[in-house]
Amino acid sequence: MFSVLSYGRLVARAVLGGLSQTDPRAGGGGSGSGSGDYGLVTAGCGFGKDFRKGLLKKGACYGDDACFVARHRSADVLGVADGVGGWRDYGVDPSQFSGTLMRTCERLVKEGRFVPSNPIGILTTSYCELLQNKVPLLGSSTACIVVLDRTSHRLHTANLGDSGFLVVRGGEVVHRSDEQQHYFNTPFQLSIAPPEAEGVVLSDSPDAADSTSFDVQLGDIILTATDGLFDNMPDYMILQELKKLKNSNYESIQQTARSIAEQAHELAYDPNYMSPFAQFACDNGLNVRGGKPDDITVLLSIVAEYTD
Amino acid sequence: MSPVFPMLTVLTMFYYICLRRRARTAPRGEMMNSHRTVEPHSRTSPLNAEVIQYAKEVVDFSSHYGSENSMSYTMWNLAGVPNVFPSSGDFTQTAVFRTYGTWWDQCPSASVPFKRTPPNFQSQDYVELAFEQQVYPTAVHVLETYHPGAVIRILACSANPYSPSPPAEVRWETLWSERPTKVNGSQARQFKPCIKQIHFPTNLIRLEVNSSLLDYYTELDAVVLHGMKDKPGLSLKTSLIDMNDLEDDDYEEKDGCGMDTLNKKFSSTALRDRPSNGYFDKLPYELIQLILNHLTLPDLCRLAQTCKLLNQHCCDPLQYLHLNLQPYWAKLNDTSLEFLQARCTLVQWLNLSWTGNRGFISVAGFSRFLKVCGSELVRLELSCSHFLNETCLEIISEMCPNLQDLNLSSCDKLPPQAFNHVAKLCGLKRLVLYRTKVEQTALLSILNFCSELQHLSLGSCVMIEDYDVIASMIGAKCKKLRTLDLWRCKNITENGIAELASGCPLLEELDLGWCPTLQSSTGCFARLARQLPNLQKLFLTANRSVCDTDIEELAGNCTRLRQLDILGTRMVSPASLRKLLESCKDLSLLDVSFCSQIDNRAVLELNVSFPKVFIKKSFTQ
Repeated sequence: MFSVLSYGRLVARAVLGGLSQTDPRAGGGGSGSGSGDYGLVTAGCGFGKDFRKGLLKKGACYGDDACFVARHRSADVLGVADGVGGWRDYGVDPSQFSGTLMRTCERLVKEGRFVPSNPIGILTTSYCELLQNKVPLLGSSTACIVVLDRTSHRLHTANLGDSGFLVVRGGEVVHRSDEQQHYFNTPFQLSIAPPEAEGVVLSDSPDAADSTSFDVQLGDIILTATDGLFDNMPDYMILQELKKLKNSNYESIQQTARSIAEQAHELAYDPNYMSPFAQFACDNGLNVRGGKPDDITVLLSIVAEYTD
Repeated sequence: MSPVFPMLTVLTMFYYICLRRRARTAPRGEMMNSHRTVEPHSRTSPLNAEVIQYAKEVVDFSSHYGSENSMSYTMWNLAGVPNVFPSSGDFTQTAVFRTYGTWWDQCPSASVPFKRTPPNFQSQDYVELAFEQQVYPTAVHVLETYHPGAVIRILACSANPYSPSPPAEVRWETLWSERPTKVNGSQARQFKPCIKQIHFPTNLIRLEVNSSLLDYYTELDAVVLHGMKDKPGLSLKTSLIDMNDLEDDDYEEKDGCGMDTLNKKFSSTALRDRPSNGYFDKLPYELIQLILNHLTLPDLCRLAQTCKLLNQHCCDPLQYLHLNLQPYWAKLNDTSLEFLQARCTLVQWLNLSWTGNRGFISVAGFSRFLKVCGSELVRLELSCSHFLNETCLEIISEMCPNLQDLNLSSCDKLPPQAFNHVAKLCGLKRLVLYRTKVEQTALLSILNFCSELQHLSLGSCVMIEDYDVIASMIGAKCKKLRTLDLWRCKNITENGIAELASGCPLLEELDLGWCPTLQSSTGCFARLARQLPNLQKLFLTANRSVCDTDIEELAGNCTRLRQLDILGTRMVSPASLRKLLESCKDLSLLDVSFCSQIDNRAVLELNVSFPKVFIKKSFTQ
């Protein structure tokens, strides 16, 4: 009798154990992905201001702008940085700072030295790493980092300066970043100054970046760009272009990104067009008209299911 | 009843099978905080199961150039896929050791080498790498991207660093070893030495390097391990027999010989013929001692087994005044220490660097040894001895009252409170705390009590909060200080420098590399130059504010300068360097890498005028 009871307990455990195995998530074996993990399919395009064929270093530089796209097991990360052109007058190449900053961020992500919910941490660590370089880097840039946490489906962003991002859902902008400016045409910026000019050169701490976090859904479009885009193309034009995006494969995203960048590039050199930049200047008392020639960098991403 | 039981048995089997499958598909723990591991990159060739892997993780190392928690020039870059190779140059994404050449052996803080170091042990630094899969290695390739040629030994370990249970037996086997050889040039190369076959699978590889022949820092990008998953059969090619390996295998015997069994053996054999022994035993005792001084430790132990006379000589404690056990780190364990105990009661210099890891030496074994042998100890080297804990330091402070030289370099697992005991060693003249976790209060206490300090290394001590306070204490208490290493001391300012300069006028060596908070405009470097006329070595690496005025002050005041590093400043011109070289006749090392005003042509011109000076100019591309 007693042994039947103990056997019975064993049987009950076996049956229940077997039933719990029919969970569809675990059924696939150790492939790791399963449904529920999100990823970003990203394409980028850009134009340097002076029609220079900028050396396309790793992570791509367009003029003094730089960007990167990196993938890690836990998150997809991308970023843009706009090098401040004024350094050229002092003999410093502005693209060196922004390019090195973006490449360092890319390396950080690939090596997993980051926490998806803390994009400001990526900026801070990357900035500190720039100071660890034997090469004496000089320059400054804005920065905008966007992180998609695969499992929690949340987008974490950090924005320092006047680059930024838009999140478009169902043809409408549902999230956007705020510009950070000290005064007109002087955005917040990370910088490394020569020792004699410290205190004179504007240098914002990475902690001054704006940080936001929000949920995203499959099919959301994220547009990350430097101010070369936003100063030349108002929202409705961008949305018009995005409507043409049919599906979420790489080629169509690449095409749309290119068309947005090209359009912004054309408008920048149109002297009669009332660009958002000109509009803002007029609001501040400066009577200007036309586009704003600037380096343009556009990274276009769609939230899709993550496949390895 | 009877048909039920087989059915129940089947159901229980079903239960256990499901349990096993669930264990296999259970998600691996998130490795978010082990940010230094990299996705293992392995390829398996289906035909003969050869596995090619990059390192998954750097497990241990003795030193590196970069900052803790950074990924620039740090040892952790050796894991994963190469970032730079095949380009050559000085890149941040590589692994760089702290020293190169013989410069650190020539500066005032250089320590005297131990006697009885076997000539085939020349390793200065090491790095241990863990791979994902255990394989029988067929090749180890090292991708070197700058000034190659430092690797002199490759070893494999039988322990798996990723297995949850501690291994029963840990063996280290040398796969390849060679004397340091000069490699010309700084170009990248893929180093492919011929390794010997071993009989156990491994996923833990150790590289030992010697940088003494290099012209500049060597930089390594990645290590590739080729191996077979299954034990290879008899190979057709004969494995290379290295003379050094025969030596290695024989080391095991030294801890196994007991005097009693030998005595029994000798007494039982009757010696019929008494062969002539060349009157060796007629030599005076002291002369035989002098002859035996030239033997290495294993030879001494073997000689002790030959006859009673030599046994008496070899067990004489006077033979063990200098005991260097670092070359035998792969085999040294508690038993060895216990065996040597009886002979080492008078030991004055003891080198246990690199020993004892992975359970070879226990705290109890070390404590026992020190209780017997610590009373006369004057110098104790414990670099990278990860078996140390707070108790060990307490024992050291109690048992070694005469200690003058203590090296705890890279003992980064020692808890901060362990350093409280160091303050009890009031006779300390040399203290190395490079890359340890010593904290502010413990260090202040040490500085307060150890007023005899002449050599102090606080490089990369990241747990110190305020280096100005430390500098002030040094200036107040350590008046005899001759060398000071403040490499990467992140927040020292001109106030600390002022206190140092006024308090320690005997300073001959000062390393302020990568201290970003020092600004030349405060006049701190000029003050240093004026108040420290005995300076022989000054490192101002990556201090971007060093300018011509500072160089001119050095030229005017520090004429004994031998080594100067001003890497990365934009504000020094060739003219002021010329003045420096004219004034400081002994200058032999001048590092002007990444100084934008000093281009290659300027370096060539200076070299023409001052041919004895090694002017270093590194490059990235």
